[in-house]
Amino acid sequence: MPEPLVSVTHLTKTYESDGNEVQAVRDVSFSMEAGEFLAIVGPSGSGKTTLLAMLGGLLTPSSGSIIVAGREISTLPPRARAGYRRTTVGFIFQQLNLFPYLTARENVLLMRAIGACGPDATRQADQLLAELGLKERANTQVSRLSGGERQRVAIARALMNDPAIVLADEPTSNLDSVRGAQVVRMLIDECKARNKLTVMVTHDREMADMADRILEMHDGHLTGVLAGSAAG
Amino acid sequence: MLSLIEISRRRLQFGLIASIFALIAYLILMINGLGAGLNELAGSALLNMDADAIAYSENAGLSVIRSELSQAMVDAVGPATGARATAPLAYVAATYRLEGKQPDSVALLGYDPGTIAEPPVTAGRALTAADTRGALADKTFLDQTGLKIGVTVTVNQRLEQVQLTIVGEIDEGAFFFQPAVYILRPTLLDLKYGATDPASRPVASIVLVQGPERSGVLGEIEVVDKQTAFANIEGVSGQSATVRSLQVFGFLIGTMVIGVFFYVLTLQKEGQIGMLKAVGASNRYVMQQLLLQVGTIAVLGMLVAIPLAVLTERSLKSGSAVVPVSLSAELIAVTTVLLLVTSIVGALFSMRKVLAVDPIIALGRQQ
Ligand SMILES: Nc1ncnc2c1ncn2[C@@H]1O[C@H](COP(=O)(O)OP(=O)(O)OP(=O)(O)O)[C@@H](O)[C@H]1O
Ligand SMILES: [Mg+2]
Repeated sequence: MPEPLVSVTHLTKTYESDGNEVQAVRDVSFSMEAGEFLAIVGPSGSGKTTLLAMLGGLLTPSSGSIIVAGREISTLPPRARAGYRRTTVGFIFQQLNLFPYLTARENVLLMRAIGACGPDATRQADQLLAELGLKERANTQVSRLSGGERQRVAIARALMNDPAIVLADEPTSNLDSVRGAQVVRMLIDECKARNKLTVMVTHDREMADMADRILEMHDGHLTGVLAGSAAG
Repeated sequence: MLSLIEISRRRLQFGLIASIFALIAYLILMINGLGAGLNELAGSALLNMDADAIAYSENAGLSVIRSELSQAMVDAVGPATGARATAPLAYVAATYRLEGKQPDSVALLGYDPGTIAEPPVTAGRALTAADTRGALADKTFLDQTGLKIGVTVTVNQRLEQVQLTIVGEIDEGAFFFQPAVYILRPTLLDLKYGATDPASRPVASIVLVQGPERSGVLGEIEVVDKQTAFANIEGVSGQSATVRSLQVFGFLIGTMVIGVFFYVLTLQKEGQIGMLKAVGASNRYVMQQLLLQVGTIAVLGMLVAIPLAVLTERSLKSGSAVVPVSLSAELIAVTTVLLLVTSIVGALFSMRKVLAVDPIIALGRQQ
């Protein structure tokens, strides 16, 4: 059996605020393969975002380990964590994804400006925008794009650095269910075509069902791993 | 370039920020220009004299008004200082009255043609030894009074009176807050001392000295460099302190406003900075963009402020009531550099804030 791309073992995150300790993620272990599409579901406050943030190198675990492509990332110092995010992770956030005054294309090419892309970034950006149905909208400022279009730009941006992992935290929560499903479909297609490991947090059971596997969280615990409709 | 595109796309917002910067820069330029103008009024004629040092009578305490030199003392200046050249100059304040106007005063300066004290003439002609009733009037005097070359003015000094005909224009500026008018030394001495015995009266107020080898108290005379002489003009030291305070306060307050402004600008970008960092941008990249933006705003602001200040200077100078204001290229350059540096330093203050932004906010939560 090949090494999994990501292995998470005994991962715990405890927040401290005003002397109160909140155990947001408790002793979570699982592993993921390249090309897999996972959904994380669970009630509000169950620790989904916290888990995703640790996977993405935005948050340091209190204990446990996250090994990505053979490298322990939970103990990286800040600068190395930024490097990890730049080279290995593609992010799609709920909001605050894009610069509204830049065009779709400029937003995507921002990844080149921060040194995350290879030499043919422009061609890559145009191809991604075309695949995501944004060819005509490429030179439109993001502030004039619809919510669905914006999230598609965000998908293009997340793939610009050719990351091993794509992480999305409720990418469709600002969209209606039809458009949301459309965006998730595109996310899956793009990531599968590139053999990316994709982890998406969602509240929506229907969207979660489009995944290969569904991780269920409850109160910080990983309470179940279900097969999605895409499995098999 | 992210930060430059932002400026070009959000022209209204950045236009307003650049205008605030421009207004502050304009204010600082004008305060400095007015200060410099006031100082010029105090004695630019002295600074414009073709001399390195000024010799006074030793007991005058470096006051041109109190300094009185005998022929023997004037003759002693050259040997005592080892100077290349010297020339006596006599000063007296006199009043004149134009028809229908209040009396006003001029600084009469008596010199000998052919010496280093002779001012270069910019229009009309120079004085010869025969021009005992001729005068060279400063440009500001002609501008203020509307008098022209060829006109005769009556000038009073105590009970003495003399009719002077303006034969030439000079560009020497002011002396003791009055426009400078150069006449022949004997004419001035007659006016200043009246009918006293010419053998017993002083022959000059000061001596201009070029290239002195020695200075300080030398027997009956005291020699100081021109800058010291300027600083010792009655009223200048107090005025300089006031002007300097104004400059310092103007600059400090302007700097703070600009610094706070750029800090607020950074605070507003907290979300964007968090997002940039979340996708892996280095702190260095974020700071570069911020500095580029601040630098651009500052340069744009200066590009508005400088022409505005120069225009104001022109209109103030050409108005009927002359306001002393002087914007030299040096002053503009120094102010510009200081303000640009200030802006960058102000932006660097924001660096701590930038470094402190936690990229986790991109996931939509407070730090
Ligand atoms: N910075 C923090 N300080 C203290 N407690 C926190 C912090 N961030 C999250 N928590 C707590 O940790 C728990 C898990 O939060 P998390 O945001 O991971 O949940 P979530 O599953 O993403 O919820 P939602 O579905 O509402 O987004 C919650 O109880 C939350 O209140
Ligand atoms: Mg969440």
